[in-house]
Amino acid sequence: MKRRGRGIACMWYPIGFTVSANPSAATVKVNEDGTATLLTGTVETGQGSLTVLAQIAAEELGVATDDVHVVSADTDGTPMDTGAIASRTTYVTGNAVRLAAEKAKQILFETAAPMLGVKPEQLEARDRNIQVKGFPQRNVAISVVAHRAQVVMGQPPIGSASWNPPTLAMDPETGQGKPFSTYVYATQIAEVDVDDETGEVEVLRIVAAHDCGTAINPMLVEGQVEGGISMGIGFALQEQILFDDAGRQINPNLTNYIMPTTLDMPEIKVDIVDSYDPTGPFGAKGVGEPTSVPTAAAILNAIHDAVGVRITSLPATAEKVLAAIKAKQAQQTKRIAAR
Amino acid sequence: MPRKTKLADKMQRTLGQAPRSTGELARVPPVTLPVAYPIEALVPQVRLQTPAVGQRATRPDGRLHGLGQTRYIDDLAFPGMLYAKIKRAGIAAARILSIDTSEADAMPGVLAVLTGREIPVNSFGPSLQDQPVLADTQVRHAGDGVAAVAALTEQIAEAAIEKIKVDYEPLPAVFDPLEALREDAPKVHAPAGNVYATKVIRKGDVDAAFARADHVFEGRYATQMVEHVPLEPHAAIAMWDPNGRVTIHSTLGRITLGRSDVSRTLKLPMNRVRIVATIVGGNFGGKNEITQEPVLALLSKKTGRPVKGVFTRGEEFTSTTTRHPFVMDYKTGVTKDGRIIARKVRLVLDGGAYCSWSETTLGKACILSAGPYRIDNLRVEAYVVYTNKTMTGAMRGFGAPQVCFAYESQMDEIAAALHMDPLEIRLLNAFEEGAASPTGQVLHSVVLKASLLKAAERFGWKEPRS
Repeated sequence: MKRRGRGIACMWYPIGFTVSANPSAATVKVNEDGTATLLTGTVETGQGSLTVLAQIAAEELGVATDDVHVVSADTDGTPMDTGAIASRTTYVTGNAVRLAAEKAKQILFETAAPMLGVKPEQLEARDRNIQVKGFPQRNVAISVVAHRAQVVMGQPPIGSASWNPPTLAMDPETGQGKPFSTYVYATQIAEVDVDDETGEVEVLRIVAAHDCGTAINPMLVEGQVEGGISMGIGFALQEQILFDDAGRQINPNLTNYIMPTTLDMPEIKVDIVDSYDPTGPFGAKGVGEPTSVPTAAAILNAIHDAVGVRITSLPATAEKVLAAIKAKQAQQTKRIAAR
Repeated sequence: MPRKTKLADKMQRTLGQAPRSTGELARVPPVTLPVAYPIEALVPQVRLQTPAVGQRATRPDGRLHGLGQTRYIDDLAFPGMLYAKIKRAGIAAARILSIDTSEADAMPGVLAVLTGREIPVNSFGPSLQDQPVLADTQVRHAGDGVAAVAALTEQIAEAAIEKIKVDYEPLPAVFDPLEALREDAPKVHAPAGNVYATKVIRKGDVDAAFARADHVFEGRYATQMVEHVPLEPHAAIAMWDPNGRVTIHSTLGRITLGRSDVSRTLKLPMNRVRIVATIVGGNFGGKNEITQEPVLALLSKKTGRPVKGVFTRGEEFTSTTTRHPFVMDYKTGVTKDGRIIARKVRLVLDGGAYCSWSETTLGKACILSAGPYRIDNLRVEAYVVYTNKTMTGAMRGFGAPQVCFAYESQMDEIAAALHMDPLEIRLLNAFEEGAASPTGQVLHSVVLKASLLKAAERFGWKEPRS
């Protein structure tokens, strides 16, 4: 018989990593037509980080995402970056990109100020214009300013910057210190059906409420959460590298190493928790890794809720769950017999 | 006869002979796929809107991904390109007595063979340089590479590595992390011990807090080894230019570190190494360090041709990093109203044969292991040990999914024993703005309670259950 259960798990997760500094650098070049080119040493590994970085540069320059073209991942042509790891790209590289864009923007402001008859500090960049704060109708197009900066002023609007999260080394004796600059928080709740005759677990739905600071791109956040959950389901129920007695893997293939497929995916509801981190670019933190952190714990708690057995070693395969259910039944039978 | 002439002769011979009929030797000319997608890109409205932050902007190349027209490394070809394969040890612990590559070297279509002894600096690693590019004296896990070949086709390369003979003297091995902790366990990196990193966190007075706790819960939790399984396996192409510079197109997610590792292993100045990362078909932490890049670079140097290497799915499992299996002991003292006042955690991480990102994983796991809860008295001890298994390294979450499984399982056990709602006990102990973390850091922008309440509301946690 199928028994339904629910389980909750929450977590915290740091952005960036310890052991050593992890800086990022970036260069933003505003072209004569008001479009921009962003140079970054990070790598797009499928998560959409380059889109997020383009959005950050665009926001700072007051242009649209499509106005920023991103050149990435060439040790010759792009500035140093610690890399696409540790959920750090939006936060660390994002801060570097924002600072680089700010520097390029400063040159635009200096060029535009005499054109608008104000001081550079009185300007802001919005909707592809450089405009006077509080008087948006007093504006000049970024394309005009960028062209003038280069061709008339001889000052191409280019900005480069780097950023490293401020941390304090941990004391080796007590572990006290500030190992990370900031953390994100999340909760996932899973609903499962457990077949008490086969031990098979079906994940029916998962709700996920994740904090990532400002969501620079909510669609990409949702994508990360859904992907992380699929990984978490595999970790919870199916995936395991097995070794023989001589230490050789016995299932190094996708026939015998069972991963969740689209057919195993539950209904997923993603909520982005309202949050703003003043140390991140436009309040953003990160979201990549945390998405797969609480999934297994939530599913295992749901299994316990459904059939009353606690599986303490992952993965909770059908065999393992069934053995635990049978052991529990045998114990109950014994108790009845003892009466 | 000088090596150069021999090679030139052999290439001539191979190309001249290439009998189409036998299949095995058929020469496949490298092909680059034509551009099949519309060059005129469709720009969705949302990419054109301001302000940019908060927009659900799509990737510029998203459409091509969806159509399966994105070109990954395996879709790239350069004129004259060769294919490399690496011979894997297949034995978990052994001394290498000899490697005989002569038969492979003599095969038509094989243009170069490489062993670990030919690698200028045969070691790498992000924190400890304990991993050979190709094992030359000792094998520490079954997926270790011991030799490599470059051939005209992938099939010839595959056939050639079968012809390489390696003489092994088996060594005692250890596979279980708890066994590896013991003094008398076989040492994976003798004479050094198996524990290669430890971390400690101490806060408050744990013993006194346990003494005044109303209930004490103890449990052991364990997790397994898993693979990242990116759709695209590790792949790279290496080639040299006339300036004596090597360019490597690679699936690496960290090109800065990749360049420093390649430059170190090849003993080349950094400005003679160029790493270009392509569109990566999934990383999840598995592509954070070099694998075959120095091997391809050296094979390319030997042959004067571009050399491509693409891992098989099997190699993805056996010869790249995986997720650390953890053995976690949790002891937690709570008051009768459900507040956690003391926690002791002991973590043993199975580090596999090489360090890779274990130090970072250990650190993160240790810091996060107490959970997002206000616990004034805490002691965490964490160890990572060598075993003769596939190396473990960075993987989405760096140790966090493992410890989360442990602390959240125990949280539910505590809630059940105290007849508390699992949501309530979490809300009771959760971090709030300004809370001190286990390392004494004052936390900002803490929205844990908001996330618990939001998820509970969306799920319908408080609604009556059917």
